[in-house]
Amino acid sequence: MHYVIIGNGIAGITAANKLRGRDSSAQISIISYEHDHFFSRTALMYAFCGQLSERCIEPYERDHYDSMKFERMRDKVVRLDADAKKLSLESGNEINYDRLLIASGSLPLMFGWPGVEFEGVGNFVTWQDLKWLKEKSESAKRAVIVGGGLIGIEVAEILLKAGIKVTFLIREDFFWPVALDKTEGLMIVEQMRHHGCDVRLSTEMKQILGADGKVVGVEITGGEKIDTDIVVISIGVTPQTAFLKDSGIEYGERGGIVVNDYLETNIKDIFAAGDCTEVVWFNGVRRPEQLWYTGRDQGEIAGLNMAGDKHEYRRSTFYNSAKLFDTEYTTAGLVNFRLEGEHNWYMREGKTDRTVRIVYLPDQTVAGFNMLGRRWDHRVLVKWIEEKRKLDWVLEHLNEANYDEEFMPPFEIPKELSGVK
Amino acid sequence: MQAGLLRSFQNSSQSRGMTAWFISAMLFAFYILMYFTSVFDPLATALGLGSRWNLYGTLYTLAIIVGGIYFLKRHGNSRYHQLRTYSLIFFQSVMAFSIPMVMEIFDTKGFVFSIFWPLKMDYFYPQNIFEYPVLLIVYAFLSALIGVPIMTILFGKRWYCSWMCGCGGLAETAGEPFRHLSNKSRKAWRFEKVSIYSVLVLAIITTVLVLVNWSLGTHAVSGEWSTEHSTLNLVSSKVQGAYQFIVAAMLSGVLGVGLYPLMGSRVWCRFFCPLAAILGIFQKFGRFRITVKDDMCISCGNCSTYCEMGIDVRAYAQANQSFKRAACVGCGICAHVCPRGVLRLENKWDFKTEPAGLTPQSIDF
Repeated sequence: MHYVIIGNGIAGITAANKLRGRDSSAQISIISYEHDHFFSRTALMYAFCGQLSERCIEPYERDHYDSMKFERMRDKVVRLDADAKKLSLESGNEINYDRLLIASGSLPLMFGWPGVEFEGVGNFVTWQDLKWLKEKSESAKRAVIVGGGLIGIEVAEILLKAGIKVTFLIREDFFWPVALDKTEGLMIVEQMRHHGCDVRLSTEMKQILGADGKVVGVEITGGEKIDTDIVVISIGVTPQTAFLKDSGIEYGERGGIVVNDYLETNIKDIFAAGDCTEVVWFNGVRRPEQLWYTGRDQGEIAGLNMAGDKHEYRRSTFYNSAKLFDTEYTTAGLVNFRLEGEHNWYMREGKTDRTVRIVYLPDQTVAGFNMLGRRWDHRVLVKWIEEKRKLDWVLEHLNEANYDEEFMPPFEIPKELSGVK
Repeated sequence: MQAGLLRSFQNSSQSRGMTAWFISAMLFAFYILMYFTSVFDPLATALGLGSRWNLYGTLYTLAIIVGGIYFLKRHGNSRYHQLRTYSLIFFQSVMAFSIPMVMEIFDTKGFVFSIFWPLKMDYFYPQNIFEYPVLLIVYAFLSALIGVPIMTILFGKRWYCSWMCGCGGLAETAGEPFRHLSNKSRKAWRFEKVSIYSVLVLAIITTVLVLVNWSLGTHAVSGEWSTEHSTLNLVSSKVQGAYQFIVAAMLSGVLGVGLYPLMGSRVWCRFFCPLAAILGIFQKFGRFRITVKDDMCISCGNCSTYCEMGIDVRAYAQANQSFKRAACVGCGICAHVCPRGVLRLENKWDFKTEPAGLTPQSIDF
């Protein structure tokens, strides 16, 4: 049996590991054009600023591929012929498979701004982006970041630390509206400004200005022009599936590969996992889940199913985490989904960056948590949501979910807030 | 982001560049001159410190205080690390430095309450320990044989290695800029298991030999070796001298500190310290472990990189495997630098031991 995996990211390598666990003799090939080794994409920012070396962000020792007997191909798939079970590669080579996993991830969205083709405009998603931004940052004095999400804030942080003047354009009137409420979003904006970041809210980029093919500035809402040497666009990512066109693989509306509960595509023996897929969310909407955690979980299920198991990919209660400059963020359940009749319980510990937001339904059942500043155990929060705990009970037991370092000042709910409905 | 860790891999002095080799060479030279020559004696006398060993103690304590301030600049936003650093500075400057100094002023041989056999072999050598008052003799034996195991079963190695010990104290403070240089490979882990228990066996053999020799009456009389050259006496004194030279001088001092800029700050603690070996064994049976929050790891590698003991923490974190490792000194930096709050140091009895024979690399598959 020859398994071929397109993509050496978290979904691809997890699937390969699982496959090897189930089948010690199968031939397993991994194709990637990005890097010889699996690396942690979420750690690119640390490799940029020298907190980690480029080797440090490789999660496995370098003999992993040999010891697991994975064959690697540093190549790009240009065409899939599903009838012949064959992939054509950029190098001109062809490779046959018995079972195929597509885990090709996603590509950054670039939108159609005038001037995106100028030298100095880029993203911060791939290994090549890391190299590009490192090189650029050596001579750059100013940078503009477009898009108020996680990658945007990470790039803002590392460029500031590299001594570059950063202007951060956010289309909405606070930071990260898909995850945060306005109160917390503005708190993070305040923190960014405190670190010297020029944050522009409710501001869009109109066009990129260039001279001799190089970026020199951007024009923003209202016509103001900002001089800059770099423009980093971080407005989101989209499934990388263009190489599959004409293959007969079914796409969804958002460009992702449509998979069933077993992560099988519409074509037999072809599976898909990670950022490049679209799965059905809790609310019935089919869309991609572009997270590290879901990439890993999907890779695991796809790997096992390719080996012949029949595991369902069940999207369990949502959770995620992030670090926004110095502030750690933990979320569980449904926050910012505007559930029918939802209420919010919110507190901030004095002037610190420690906040707690609990979303609950009219019958007091807790539906979601957004926690900043402190560390929280998402397993406990998820369990409470699944047990349909009531707000009063959760507030009383909230300390049990605390996961701070030892000797941290204990979490306490101010008297005037406890029991507030 | 942990502000102080920035550019760890870009500075020449912190990434085995020319500067690092130079610092390492200077440290080697310093230790060899200090340990084996008397070039520092005039300086010590001029400073009114008496012997060069007091000069060494003074420099050592200063290094821990200055390094401690540096450490707090890096990680002082955490209460755990504040308390731990204050504790290390206290034990070095008061227990290991000032109290023995004061004792000597009162014509008593200096005694360090925060150092135990077999890190301090002298405290089990009869010809040495019996020069102390009875209470101190009792303390030396009880602390090493009963105190160390009990404390370690309750709190892990950390109560000693990263809160009290002088060697650990230097590593955690002056050695802080180099903590990421420890070797994380499985090869290094295998070497560690052989080397550290070998030194422990050597320490036990040496102690037993000296004790037996002494109890047979061929021991030193009033501080001098018996002229009675029995084979046992000869072997015993040779072994004692060899241990002193190889382990105490070369491994803990010259190599242990000299290699800071090249192999990280815990070379001695990780590969050679016999007390760490004992503590590690009790830690495996004790309450202390590092708890991993399931499914939250993003495999970034900050934990493994900044583990001074070379533990590949990430391998456990990404496998959702809470763990106990004999080497872990409980410094807590892995948990501190984790950008997703995955790790937590805990003292709890309810630990499910991992299946035997698994290496972290294989846990998940």
